[in-house]
Amino acid sequence: MTRSEVIAQLQPIFDDLFMEQVVLTPELTANDVEEWDSLLQISISLAVEKHFGVRFRVGEVEATKNVGEFADLIARRVAGN
Amino acid sequence: MEDSITMVRKTPESTTTLEPVASAVVPERPAGLAGLKDAIARKDPDFFRLLHGQTREARACEEVLLLSSLRKRAAQKGLVPTQQQSIRIAIVGGYTLFPLNELIGHFLSAASFPVSYQAEFLLGDYDNYMSEIIDESSRFYEFKPEVIIFLPSHRRCQYSGQLLDPREKQEAEGKQTASQILELCRIANSRTGAEIILANFPLPGCFDPGPYRTRTLGSDWSFRKLVNLELGLNAPSFVHICDAEFLSARRGTLASCDPRGWFESKQPYAPDMLVDVARECAYLVASLRLGPKKVAVLDLDNTLWGGVVGDDGLDGIEIGDTSPRGEAFKAFQQYLLSLTHRGILLAVCSKNDRDKAVEPFEKHPEMVLRMKDIVCFKANWQPKSENIRQIATELNLGLDSLVFIDDNPAEIEIVRQFVPEVETVLLSADPSEYAGALQDSRYFEPKNLTAEDLERVGQYKQETQRQELLASVTDMDAYLESLGMEAVIREFCPVDVPRISQLINKSNQFNLTTRRRTEAQVQAILADPAYFGFTVRLSDRFGDHGLISIVIGRVDGDEVEVDTWLMSCRVLKRQVEEEVLNELVRLALQRNCSRIKGVYLPTAKNGMVRNHYEGLGFSPILTSADRLEFELNSQLYRAKPTRIRIAEKSYDTK
Repeated sequence: MTRSEVIAQLQPIFDDLFMEQVVLTPELTANDVEEWDSLLQISISLAVEKHFGVRFRVGEVEATKNVGEFADLIARRVAGN
Repeated sequence: MEDSITMVRKTPESTTTLEPVASAVVPERPAGLAGLKDAIARKDPDFFRLLHGQTREARACEEVLLLSSLRKRAAQKGLVPTQQQSIRIAIVGGYTLFPLNELIGHFLSAASFPVSYQAEFLLGDYDNYMSEIIDESSRFYEFKPEVIIFLPSHRRCQYSGQLLDPREKQEAEGKQTASQILELCRIANSRTGAEIILANFPLPGCFDPGPYRTRTLGSDWSFRKLVNLELGLNAPSFVHICDAEFLSARRGTLASCDPRGWFESKQPYAPDMLVDVARECAYLVASLRLGPKKVAVLDLDNTLWGGVVGDDGLDGIEIGDTSPRGEAFKAFQQYLLSLTHRGILLAVCSKNDRDKAVEPFEKHPEMVLRMKDIVCFKANWQPKSENIRQIATELNLGLDSLVFIDDNPAEIEIVRQFVPEVETVLLSADPSEYAGALQDSRYFEPKNLTAEDLERVGQYKQETQRQELLASVTDMDAYLESLGMEAVIREFCPVDVPRISQLINKSNQFNLTTRRRTEAQVQAILADPAYFGFTVRLSDRFGDHGLISIVIGRVDGDEVEVDTWLMSCRVLKRQVEEEVLNELVRLALQRNCSRIKGVYLPTAKNGMVRNHYEGLGFSPILTSADRLEFELNSQLYRAKPTRIRIAEKSYDTK
């Protein structure tokens, strides 16, 4: 799965979680979105794990810097490495 | 009752009763989250009822967090729940307590509709609970919590020695671990008066140390079980155990822990288990203030038996040991009967011809429930919402004391919309799941079961007989005389504290000030010389009503202010009020008080006592929207004659 394919699947997940529409781009970070607080971050991680059927390893979500890196991480886990 | 709708439609007159109601009342609304977002956008106050329903059903952590943020969004848009109560809660423990507080805050706000508790939290620092509780000058005490939620660290619940150490040594350490935790609870309670919710320890899910785990108290598995038992068995009454051991077993021990969360942010449990614990904490907090439900209102066809008695006839319904389905319905009836033994009342609300509906109760040999077990029986073709209102009126109970149980989603929806105060349980299509569904609804859990609860069913039956007598006797005075009433008035005493606190927390209608108090707070009144308090027990020739009235007075110079005056509505118009006033005046004079000040604080439910004080001869001295005050000169008062014999008065030195 490519980065943009992952982001395309992330978009509806974000649409469910956020009240205001957030358009996902690889460069977007939590700081750019007012609603995106630590509580929403927990919900995003849980929803993404469920949707993609993956399990992140300890500390790695926190280490991603933006939506693009988060999507790459998801792609790696989906591919099984 | 899914089948019965189809059956009912065969007869034209019943088609007209059911269909228009069902289609007219359920407005088109998007379901689920979209419905909530839509309600926020439209500023629809029905948002809170919808939120309550979805909060009850939500299981996953992200769902609850999402509901919580929608609730905050609604608040920003100016939507406010109708019955808000604030509560100050301190959470301390060996973990990061965020987002646990968010989840608890959400459940407190949305889980007890229409009451909504707005919690103000103080979060203790990670693993700093020892000093927070022991240091009297900590911000924890500055905060003055009403409730403390305490999650001691599992890392301090480990045996320090070896698996093969002598059992006595291991056992002593387990008991000491528990008593240290309870000692912290005692310190916190004695300094704040707060009720304490104490989380115990989930059991580990991994195999270590193998089958040997049960042969020693030194394994985490056995040691935690021992500590949990010690905590529960020795907890004083102000400690309420949040049973994390049970909750994690129910969910599965492996699914309940997520080591990532511990290493990433010192989270105590896996996210969904965090939801379980938060829900339980909120449930325990709410049940400090709200009483349990009192009446199970039951559908009949496909709820108490299989099939439709109106169509299938007495012989055609499925009940009893002849088929697995019939056996399941019978087991459900047995469970309902067991509820009556702990004081829950059963009522029937069914769309049926009454004589057909009554027949199984009177004639079917396999029925467990009989007419004598049902305190109110409504079988007709009126909307169920109307029948439910009538049931509440006839039993003299608030609508929020009732739970409606039906297998038909349409009937459940009608009741949810038209009598939102009534909680509902929608049964599945499988009767083997009915008892479990009712148990897991948690509406009928005893909080602190008292002997008097167990007698209540008998009391309501007696009340019916009394009403019949009233109907036959036209002269009120002769009626009261014929009852042969006897009252015992007694000052507050420690043994009555659970019952006093229970009544204080569940009386809504005949309650002048609706001041709620926990057992710890009642204990405090016992010890405070500025207060006096007495209870009234009433019996008559039909039976014992038990403890039915509570009064708390506060002495201030030459005045007694009536802090609390409440009474069970079962004994309305029985002259108990007059005897209570006689006693109040007597106690005031004993304390050299020449004036008694009565206060009425209006609520949604206590309109019936608005004119209480004036009716007893008090004069109004203050009238405002949220408070009325009245005064009585105790020196000029003459004791009111009644038909009640007073067997014992309070504070009487015998």
